[in-house]
Amino acid sequence: MADNLLLWVKDIFLIIISLSFFRILLPESSLEKYLKFIFSLIVLAVILEPVIRFQ
Amino acid sequence: MDYEKILEEQMNNVIDPEQAGIISEKAGEISGSIAEEFTMEKILEATLSGESIFKSQQLIDGLKSLVLYEIRAALVLGVEILIICIIIGLVRNLSSSFGKKSMSDITLMVCTMIIIGISVNSFRLAYELAVDSVTTMVSTMEILTPILLGILISTGSIASGTVMSPVVIGAVTGTGIILKRLILPAMFAATILTLVNCLTEKDYVNKLSKLLRNAALAVTGLIIAILSGIISVQGLITDASDGLLINTAKYSLSTFIPIVGGFTADTAELFVRCMGTIKSIVGIFGIIALILVILTPLIKLLAIALIYKLTAAAAEPICESKISDGLNDMGSCIISLGAVLFFAALLFIIFISVIIGMGGG
Repeated sequence: MADNLLLWVKDIFLIIISLSFFRILLPESSLEKYLKFIFSLIVLAVILEPVIRFQ
Repeated sequence: MDYEKILEEQMNNVIDPEQAGIISEKAGEISGSIAEEFTMEKILEATLSGESIFKSQQLIDGLKSLVLYEIRAALVLGVEILIICIIIGLVRNLSSSFGKKSMSDITLMVCTMIIIGISVNSFRLAYELAVDSVTTMVSTMEILTPILLGILISTGSIASGTVMSPVVIGAVTGTGIILKRLILPAMFAATILTLVNCLTEKDYVNKLSKLLRNAALAVTGLIIAILSGIISVQGLITDASDGLLINTAKYSLSTFIPIVGGFTADTAELFVRCMGTIKSIVGIFGIIALILVILTPLIKLLAIALIYKLTAAAAEPICESKISDGLNDMGSCIISLGAVLFFAALLFIIFISVIIGMGGG
């Protein structure tokens, strides 16, 4: 149980760090706000992953 | 033959000095000079002469040096973080002259990640300290409980001893396992999430980390409420039935045996009282050992938490509010870790107090 918890937190950690890194590298354009929304969706999916897998 | 001799003899019969030595040694390893003040012999002497077992001046001096030492050790951490915060503030102000915005963004991110690295490192040390002290507390209780319950049974509380033995040992071991496998890892996860939250402009996992932390604290509180309730109520019930048993035994000794019956009953009474005193002495020794085991880790955790909160306060004017908020939450996380440790110690102290309070006719 604790191992799964720590794995999940590790996933969230990695995804947030990589997404914030990508956001810096992206060129400024009108698409930026849509990208932000998509990034939030990805983070949401990772956070909800144990709930989705739970069944 | 006076009662002091009887007490000392009985005490030497009942207690294995090796086991008491192990507990004292462990407590001494952790909290140094303070542990030397409280050996079982000294508590026995103080009980016989009716003195206080606490030498206040030495205690205050020991505590003061301990607190100052821990704060000084944690200060390095605060200064490191503060220097990086100053660099962040400088970069932010200089970023207009760099031209490109992404350049300064990456610098800021790297600086924040250095802060996260330092914080994770210090938190890992604090976490290992907490796990270690939970282990030490549980093993102290596992040595102490059989001794205490043995003495409890020899005071005549047979029902209490037999019922309490599995309940207390099971509860102690179970609490240790739940703390180590469930609650402390949840605290660790909450802290990591708090730190990740510093990186992003928007709050992604702030509420999640608070949820994890509060859930861990709530589960600890629930365990303590349930276990201490069970132990106290169970102790009351079996204590009543044991009192009945002892009084019947004393009454039948003095009534049904002609001539010497009265003396025999008085001797039995004296024996039970002596064992009760020994039980109190061993219990007090156990409580003090538990407090000593918990004292240094708790002071260390609180010193680190204090340094984090101070750094957060100092960093607020020079860098973004995100980072100072993160440092502040980090301090709260370490305080919660200390709170879990404190609750566990409290639970074990309640167990010992209930056992001390039982028996004695």
